[in-house]
Amino acid sequence: MELTKNITLGVYLPGETAIHRLDPRTKIIAATILITLLLFIKSYEAYGVFLIFTAAIIIVAGIPFSYALCGLKPMLPVLILMWVFQLFLYSTAEAEVLFSWWLFTATDEGLHMGNLITLRVLFLFTVTTILTLTTSIVNLTDGLESLLKPLRKIGLPSQELVMTMVIALRFVLILAEELDKIVKAQMARGVAFDRGNFIQKTRKVFPVFLPLFINAFKRAEELIVAMEARSYSGGKGRTKMKTLHPGRIDLAAGGIMVLFAALMVYLIISAVPRV
Amino acid sequence: MPIEVSELCYSYKRGTPFEKKVLHEVSLRIEDGEFVGLIGPTQAGKTTLAQHFNALFVPQQGKVIVNNCDTIDKKANLISLRHEVGYVFQNPDYQLFAPTVGEDIAFGPNNQGLKSSEVKRRVSKAMDQVGLDYSSFCRRDIFALSGGQKRRVAIAGVLACKPRILVLDDITAGLDPRGREEILNVIRKLHSEENITIIFISNSMDEVAELAERIIVVDQGRIAFDDTTRQVFKKPSELKAIGLELPEIMSIAERLVLCGYNLPASVLNLEEALQAIAENLRQGQVSD
Repeated sequence: MELTKNITLGVYLPGETAIHRLDPRTKIIAATILITLLLFIKSYEAYGVFLIFTAAIIIVAGIPFSYALCGLKPMLPVLILMWVFQLFLYSTAEAEVLFSWWLFTATDEGLHMGNLITLRVLFLFTVTTILTLTTSIVNLTDGLESLLKPLRKIGLPSQELVMTMVIALRFVLILAEELDKIVKAQMARGVAFDRGNFIQKTRKVFPVFLPLFINAFKRAEELIVAMEARSYSGGKGRTKMKTLHPGRIDLAAGGIMVLFAALMVYLIISAVPRV
Repeated sequence: MPIEVSELCYSYKRGTPFEKKVLHEVSLRIEDGEFVGLIGPTQAGKTTLAQHFNALFVPQQGKVIVNNCDTIDKKANLISLRHEVGYVFQNPDYQLFAPTVGEDIAFGPNNQGLKSSEVKRRVSKAMDQVGLDYSSFCRRDIFALSGGQKRRVAIAGVLACKPRILVLDDITAGLDPRGREEILNVIRKLHSEENITIIFISNSMDEVAELAERIIVVDQGRIAFDDTTRQVFKKPSELKAIGLELPEIMSIAERLVLCGYNLPASVLNLEEALQAIAENLRQGQVSD
């Protein structure tokens, strides 16, 4: 039994591909543009184009498709639930009824909305996964810090924020590994997590989450001590061992992104029904 | 209930770019009442192998049969298997969760669906076995215990399930000498008095040499040696090549031999060493 197998968020897959070599800032900006575009896409054609583009990035980055997608597996129940909710609950006056059952009525608009939102979450997840899979944690921190630097002027503690975020991301995997051990330790004492009614199942959560939280706090404390022992005192006056230098490859990537974004904007606008 | 492992293979994160083969066609058999030391360098696959014994891992290839129950069999009752094969983890913090010592130890028996009188009996017996006084410790706050006490509670929590095989995964790591000695005494007693099969994973050669009757050395997912303790420690150069040390008592004996003492090739504990040295002195072979 391995719980960490399907966790791809926050994992770095080392490589030497063009995507890996891009300046982290380029990747972060590109991911931000892609995510923004996703929020506006309302047609299946646009999603089709988006799919081709993300698939191309995954191929260039040398990430096996099965691995890029396996992170979605644990999310599947949530996605399905979301789709079902939209299907039955979203509706407008001119929606056509597909079928109804007991209190629930499914409409074509609900179906459309369900599909759109599910696809949106799927792609949001995939885009961020590609970013973290191809960017090491150090690069990610440097890139974000450098991008948020202008906000220091208005009093935003950007360095601290980034540090917090990166640590949080890193802890996803660490906590998952701890969860794995805790679940095993309790299974060794004969817990059957999949047996019993709802209340019995809920009670089985305690033997797992109590140690998990306690260990997480302990770990956090140790991390604080370890950082302070090395004189960490926030972002002020910190210099970098490696500075970022965008190159020609970033220019090319930027060009591709602009073209793609233009295409997507065109697709998004043309999909809006004219009144 | 013997443990039979045949041609067991296991890869971590199979099907991902991080796939790593940790067990290569491992075969072994552990009989009732044995005291087996499982040693090997870090990342050798000791824990992965041991967690196959109580079906926390099921084989990807090969077979693990415990008490005539094939762990890969869908119909096998893994829950009762896990009560038969107790597993104590290195870090008690992964296991302890209840507010008091008594409640935590009762967790296993409660999972077995026993009556509360029986659960109470089991808890007090388990606490007695690990040397914790029932009346003073039962209501003690778990998170206020010392490291050694926590480990004893963790062992008691597993013993309360009445296992016939006990896997101890590096449970003495990070303990002070006294805490260590107390834990080792508990284990010794469990083996000699209750005749529980013990599989003792450890990084300390001293402990293994002192306790185990048989040693299985795992290296890079393969069994390097599987023999009696004495035989295994007769191969110091092979062990060193794997990255294992000799027990301290043996290194001292080695040096004494260089000084002219006539000692047997494998001295496993202090008593043997003392006897051999005394014998030497009595026969006057060594002039001081």
